[in-house]
Amino acid sequence: MTRSITLGQYIPGQSFIHRLNPRLKILILVLILVLLFLLETFGALLASLAAALAMFALAGIPFSYLMRGLRPIFYIALFALIIYFFFTSGGVVLLRIGFITVESEGVEQGLFIVARLVVLVLFSLLVTLTTTPLSLTHGMGYFLKPLRYAGLPTEEVAMIMAVALRFIPTLMEESQRLMRAQLARGADFETGSIFRKAGNMVPLIVPLFVSAFRRADELALAMEARGYRIGARRTRMHEDIITLKDWGALALVLVLVALVWAFSL
Amino acid sequence: MFIGTEQLTHTYMPGTPFATKALHDISFNFKQGDFALIIGPSGSGKSTLIQHLNGLLKPTSGQVVFEGKNIGSDKQELLRLRKRIGLVFQMPEEQFFSETVFDEVAFAPRNQGFDENEVENKVIEALEKTGLDPNELRMRHPFQLSAGQKRLVAIAAVLSLNPEVLILDEPTVALDTAYRKNLFDLLTGLNHKEKLTIIISTHHLDEAAALADRVLVLKQGELAMFGPAVEVFGRREELYSLGLALPPVTEIMHGLAEKGMPVSTSVYTLQEARREINKVKRRDRS
Amino acid sequence: MALVGPNGSGKTTFLKLLNALLIPTHGQVLVKGISTAVESTLPEVRRVCGMIFQNPDNQLVATTVEEDIAFGLENLALPPEEIRNRVFKTAALLGLEKLLSQPPHLLSGGEKQRVAIAGVLVMEPECILMDEPTAMLDPAGRRDVLNTVRELNRNRNIAVIHVTHFPEEAAGTDRVVILNEGKLAADGASAEVMTDLQFLHGLGLQGTTAVELAALLRQDSFPLPPQILYNRELVDSLCSLGQNS
Repeated sequence: MTRSITLGQYIPGQSFIHRLNPRLKILILVLILVLLFLLETFGALLASLAAALAMFALAGIPFSYLMRGLRPIFYIALFALIIYFFFTSGGVVLLRIGFITVESEGVEQGLFIVARLVVLVLFSLLVTLTTTPLSLTHGMGYFLKPLRYAGLPTEEVAMIMAVALRFIPTLMEESQRLMRAQLARGADFETGSIFRKAGNMVPLIVPLFVSAFRRADELALAMEARGYRIGARRTRMHEDIITLKDWGALALVLVLVALVWAFSL
Repeated sequence: MFIGTEQLTHTYMPGTPFATKALHDISFNFKQGDFALIIGPSGSGKSTLIQHLNGLLKPTSGQVVFEGKNIGSDKQELLRLRKRIGLVFQMPEEQFFSETVFDEVAFAPRNQGFDENEVENKVIEALEKTGLDPNELRMRHPFQLSAGQKRLVAIAAVLSLNPEVLILDEPTVALDTAYRKNLFDLLTGLNHKEKLTIIISTHHLDEAAALADRVLVLKQGELAMFGPAVEVFGRREELYSLGLALPPVTEIMHGLAEKGMPVSTSVYTLQEARREINKVKRRDRS
Repeated sequence: MALVGPNGSGKTTFLKLLNALLIPTHGQVLVKGISTAVESTLPEVRRVCGMIFQNPDNQLVATTVEEDIAFGLENLALPPEEIRNRVFKTAALLGLEKLLSQPPHLLSGGEKQRVAIAGVLVMEPECILMDEPTAMLDPAGRRDVLNTVRELNRNRNIAVIHVTHFPEEAAGTDRVVILNEGKLAADGASAEVMTDLQFLHGLGLQGTTAVELAALLRQDSFPLPPQILYNRELVDSLCSLGQNS
C-alpha cells in the first residue's frame, strides 16, 4: 500500500520551520551548505550538528525519520571512512597491521568529512520533511523563472511537475496491482537471465504505458473543461508571501555565514 | 474446508507509523461448486481478501485454506495453486499487452509451460467458453474490441488456465446492462456445466443475488455476516446500514410485504417476482 | 435531465459539444445565446457549463483536495483571497471541510466525485454536465453523488444533464432525452419516456425494474395504470388492486 508515500516525505506540522516561505527555505539551505564547506574545525561542525538537531526538535519531527533519512548515506559514509582511515597518512601512527597503517590525520579527516556529510543531509532532510513537494517544486520553479526568457515554458513545466507529483502514488498503486494481476496469470518476474527478465517485464510496462496515456488524455480533457489554457495567465490559491519572519531567518543565516567566513580567514 | 480462511488478519505496512489493518480475524469457507459472493462497501477489504485466496497476498496472521490444507508460502506451491484458482482483477482489460487476442489469452497457458499445440487448444476452448468466436477474434488487436468483448477476453485469459475455482473482483463494473446480463449467464454456465466454483466480490447485487449460494459480508475489514444467501439477504436493514442495496425487485417485494401482502421476500429476479405475485393474487381470488 | 442511449449513440460526444470540448461541424451550439465556436467565449462557456467525468481519479489534478477545487478559479486568474473564500465556502456546502488537505489518492470513489463536483460548483456554473459519474462507485458513493447533484438542482437552480445507462437514474430526473445512432430519438417527461417499454426495448434499452415488472404483470391481466415508474407506485397499485377484488 502506498499510504506511506503521502506527498513524498512531507510530515505535516505547524512549526516555525514548516511555515517559513518555501523559496526562502531553499535559499537558506543553499547558504547553509555553503557555510558547511567553509567550516574548518570540529567544534564548529559539532555546533552545526547541534543546531540541526535543535531544528529537528523545533519542527516536531520524530527521531525515527532522522535515522531513516540517514540510511541512504550509510554506505557512502562507511566507504569514505575506510578510504581516509586506511589510505591517508599524516600525524601519529595509531595502528599497524602488516601493510596497513592507520594514522591520526587520516582518522581526523575521515571523521570530519563524514560528520560534514551527515550534517549536510540533516539540513536537506529538514527542508524536505517540512515542505510539501508541491511547494518545493514551485519554489525551485521560481528560481528557474529567468529561463523563461531563454524560451523555456516554465509555467507549463511547473504544471507538469505538479501533475506528476499528484499521480505518483496513484501510479504506484496501479503498478503493484498490475503486477499481482499478471502473477495471477502465471507470470514470473524473478527467474531467468537479464534478457529473459527484461522480456518478462513487457506485461508490466505495456499496460502501464497504455494506462498512463489514457489517464493523460482524460485528465487533459478535464483540465480543459475547467478552463485551463496553455499560455493563459493563472493565479494561485496559496500565494507565496514573504513575511518579516522569513526575512529574519534569512538575515540570521547570512550573519552566521559571514561570521564563519570571517573566522575562517 | 474447500476454500476459506481461519482468523485471517492482514495489516499493510506492519510496524511502521502507517500500519493499516485491512482485514481482522476473518474466518469463513465456501464449498466446492458454490456460487459465492463477497460483498461490502468500498474499502471494506474485499479486494485484499480475495488476493489472499490464491496467495498473492500473505496473511499477517491466520491462514488461508484450500482443500483442507493451509496454502502456505512456498513459492512453487503457490505457483501451482494459481493454476487451480484463477483470479480476474477489477477492470481486467487494463492488463492487456499483446497484439492479438490469441496471444493475450495464450499468456497464461504459455507461462504454465504447455507446448504450442496445447496452448492453441486451451485458447480456443477458453474463448468458446466465454461465448466469443475464436476464428473471428483471434487475430484482432485487443484494444479494438468493444468494452464488453474486452472484458470477456480478459476473463478468457484466466479461463485458459483451466482453473477449478474462478474468483472475480467486480466483474461488471463499467459495463452496460446487456453485457452485465451476458456475463452473469456466462458465470452461471461455468458454475453449472463446468462445475467451477465461482466467487464474486461485488457491491452490485442486481444480478448476483439470484445466483448466490453463500454470501460473505465485510465491513471495514471485519466479518459482518456469513451464511446461505437467503439468510444474509433477509437481513435487509443491516445490509442497508452497511451501504449495500438489495436488487430493486427484492425491494418491491419488501414493499408489498410491508403493506400486508403475504409475498415471499426471497425473490431476486423479475420472473420470480412475477410468479410470486401471481401466486399470491390467485390465492386471493380463489 | 437524463441523456440516455445505447452504446455508440453519441451521448458523450453530445455532452462534449455543450461545453466546447468539441466544436460542431455543422450547425451550432448556443450557451446563453453565444455560439461555442467563438473562441473568445471559451472561458465563459466553460464556467457556465461545468463537467464531471466517469473516472473519479482522472479528473483530479492537484495534490490536495483544496487545491483541486481551486483549479478552475486559478484558471480564471481570480485574486487568491477570493479563490480561498470560494473554495472554503463550496467545500463547506458539500461537507468536504475535513478532507481539504488530503491528497486525492486517499479518498474513496464517492468522495473523489464530490470533490470534482466542488471543483465545478466553485466556478458558479449554471449547468452541470455529468458523463456516467456513478459507473465506478459503490451504492453508498452513488447515493451521495446523486443526492448532492439533486440538491444543487433543486436549491440552486443549476441545470443538470446526466448521461447514464442506469434506468433508475434516468427515471429520477424530470426530462429524458434519448439518442440513437447520433440522432434524437425521444425527448419528453421522464414519466412518459421511461414507461414506454416497447420503444425502449426497440432501442436495446431497459426500463426500471418497476416498469419492467408492471409490464409483465399487465400481460398476466393485472389492471395496472399505464404510467407506473417507481417502486412505490407499483407497490401501491398492486395493494389497491387487492382491496378492490
